[in-house]
Amino acid sequence: MGVAGDARARVATGARIEAGPWRHILARRLLPYALIAPALLVILGVLGYPLGMLLWLSTQRYGLRELFQHQGTFVGLSNFATILSDPQFRYVVQVSVIFTIVNVGLSMVFATGIALLLERVSRPIRVLLSAGLVLVWATPVVPAINLWQWMFDYEFGVVNWLLTRMGVGNFIHHNWFENPIQGFTVITVIVVWGAIPFLTLMLYAGLTQVPRELVEAAEIDGARQWQVFALVTVPILRPLFLILFSLSTIWDFGVFNQVWILLNQRPSKDYFLIAVYSFQESFRVSQFGLGSAIAVVMVAILVVVTFVYVRQTVRQTNEEAT
Amino acid sequence: MNPRKLLFTVAAALALLAAACGSTNPTTTTGNETGTLTVWLMNGSAPQSVVDGVNADFKVKHPNVTVNVEIQQWSDVTTKLDTAFAGSTPPDVMELGNTLVAKYASAGALQDITSKKSSFENSGTWLQSLTDSCTYQGKLYCVPYYAGSRAIIYRTDMFAAAGVQVPTSMDELMTVGQKLMAKYGSDPNFSALYFPGKYWYAAAPFVWDFGGDIATQSGSKWQGSLNSSQAQQGLTTLNNLVSKLSRADKTGDEAKQDQAFAQGHIAMIIANGWEVGVITDPKSGDPSLKDKLDAFPIPSHNSGQSAPVFLGGSDLAVAAHSKQQALAREWVGLLGGTKFQSQMVTVGGVIPNTTTLVSLSTGLPAKFAAAAKVSRFTPNSPNWANVESSNVLQDMLVSIFTGKSSISTATSAASDKITTILNQ
Repeated sequence: MGVAGDARARVATGARIEAGPWRHILARRLLPYALIAPALLVILGVLGYPLGMLLWLSTQRYGLRELFQHQGTFVGLSNFATILSDPQFRYVVQVSVIFTIVNVGLSMVFATGIALLLERVSRPIRVLLSAGLVLVWATPVVPAINLWQWMFDYEFGVVNWLLTRMGVGNFIHHNWFENPIQGFTVITVIVVWGAIPFLTLMLYAGLTQVPRELVEAAEIDGARQWQVFALVTVPILRPLFLILFSLSTIWDFGVFNQVWILLNQRPSKDYFLIAVYSFQESFRVSQFGLGSAIAVVMVAILVVVTFVYVRQTVRQTNEEAT
Repeated sequence: MNPRKLLFTVAAALALLAAACGSTNPTTTTGNETGTLTVWLMNGSAPQSVVDGVNADFKVKHPNVTVNVEIQQWSDVTTKLDTAFAGSTPPDVMELGNTLVAKYASAGALQDITSKKSSFENSGTWLQSLTDSCTYQGKLYCVPYYAGSRAIIYRTDMFAAAGVQVPTSMDELMTVGQKLMAKYGSDPNFSALYFPGKYWYAAAPFVWDFGGDIATQSGSKWQGSLNSSQAQQGLTTLNNLVSKLSRADKTGDEAKQDQAFAQGHIAMIIANGWEVGVITDPKSGDPSLKDKLDAFPIPSHNSGQSAPVFLGGSDLAVAAHSKQQALAREWVGLLGGTKFQSQMVTVGGVIPNTTTLVSLSTGLPAKFAAAAKVSRFTPNSPNWANVESSNVLQDMLVSIFTGKSSISTATSAASDKITTILNQ
């Protein structure tokens, strides 16, 4: 239902409201709120309370002593002033933003490619491929990262052995994490690898919904394959793409496990993504107020970015309705 | 019996009873308590037989108390401790690394046991540096548990094959290492001295030996001092050794060094006494190496002396919020007392908490105990734990070994960071 539809509905209920007695009107007005109240309460409890606590903590000086006594000291916005003037924090935000753009981009490109492939291959291959994707998806994160860690190990890793054997170069005792660019490449491989199954299966499901006749019509009009993809498939799947983009952004901006586990829970500061930095400040250095302030900034950045996506989605739905 | 006599008898009986209670049990536990005592010990600290022995002796006195001993990992123990202390039911007894005590004592998490000190066995002869680590602002917050120090574990067969002797100075260490590299270096996995880049406990002796220090205190202010010329000299010497003798991961930590050593491609590692057990463990290591291992102290740059080592170790503390304070102290008293400390030496191979028992160690453990004679400790500040958690020293070493920054740049950056954190 678009804007016009809403207006019509308002007019219709308005007419009925005028007709009933006031008690009736009140019941009718309140009923929807009463019906969503339980759900709203759960959402407020599960999401609102921690978020509120986070905001409150970010205005406190809250160290170990305060933690044990359950009593912080209010310091206003000084935690935010501290992090915003910290060059380390600016570096962390820059790295996180670049990391997110690269990871979301690569995940979406690979997922789209594999989804298109799934649509074209024969049935047995499709089943095999999907089974592989589901297996990747079903692997718990921590063991998966540990496996990757072994593969890229400095001394005993199979990657170094294989690359040396294949004659790519001398990779004996090659350290993948000495140079942050290489290290982040490994982390990107792991993050993208983990993101592909969900994105691919969603996109494949979307692709099966593209009307066959539209594709045929385009082909009859002489469109090439990539033109069909760019001008027919993508516009139809745009809402799906928008949702997947925003979800991926949220996930990749908050990457933590991959860095933390891969680098033995002691990542050097070159590898601080914003979530890692927040954890480090909170739980390692026991400055919970400062850590919360970092987390608040992180949430704020995400809200701004996803707001753009959501607005796009809403605008598009409205356009379709009119 | 006249009333007066009766009264006298009763009074005498009561007095006797009170005296009896007092003499058997100064900590006012009676033996019929119920409940659970939760104890956190660290991975690798006490052999299972010692823990079982302590629990058995405890059970005799307090048959209705259940003792739960939970083993924690060093890598995430601070996070777990923070969470436990923040809650209402922290463990009653916990083993704390000696560099962590000040942090928790200053935050009010540990029970002040100053007035109970004399009730602990051997409290007059406790190792000074462990007692110091338990003391914060003049008050005692824990009982020393055991100490450990590092020395160089080496392969006697490799030394014999390369025709080298135990080095007595840092220069000789380099010569010995180079001879070993010449003999075995064609093996791409061979390291004469295996030194992972983040291993700062093994790097500190080089700083101290040349007269440098991590930080110095004047009044209440700390000043990072790794950028002093002495400290830089020590790190330069270490950097030379590492670049010529080690093929270990320059960004790695020491967690896997024993497994690596057991693979047979390493001639020397800087390690704790208990790591011999890991190297020769049938599951994680190679038992056949047992007869090929020996140890010597890290040599000083002054010939014939040994370099000061970091005196590691653990203390046993009682949580301030523990509901079983007396029982907790009694359990600590058992593990810290003569009977089980003797077992810690003979079975566990560590340095005991009291000087009176050090002579019990024989063989390899005795060499580690000897290496501890010249020992140093990290700055005793509640914020020191944050220096460790912030990886300041590890990051500095990695930058030096990988050549990412010069020694003077890396040490200046680390010193500034240490100054900031310690004065927070």
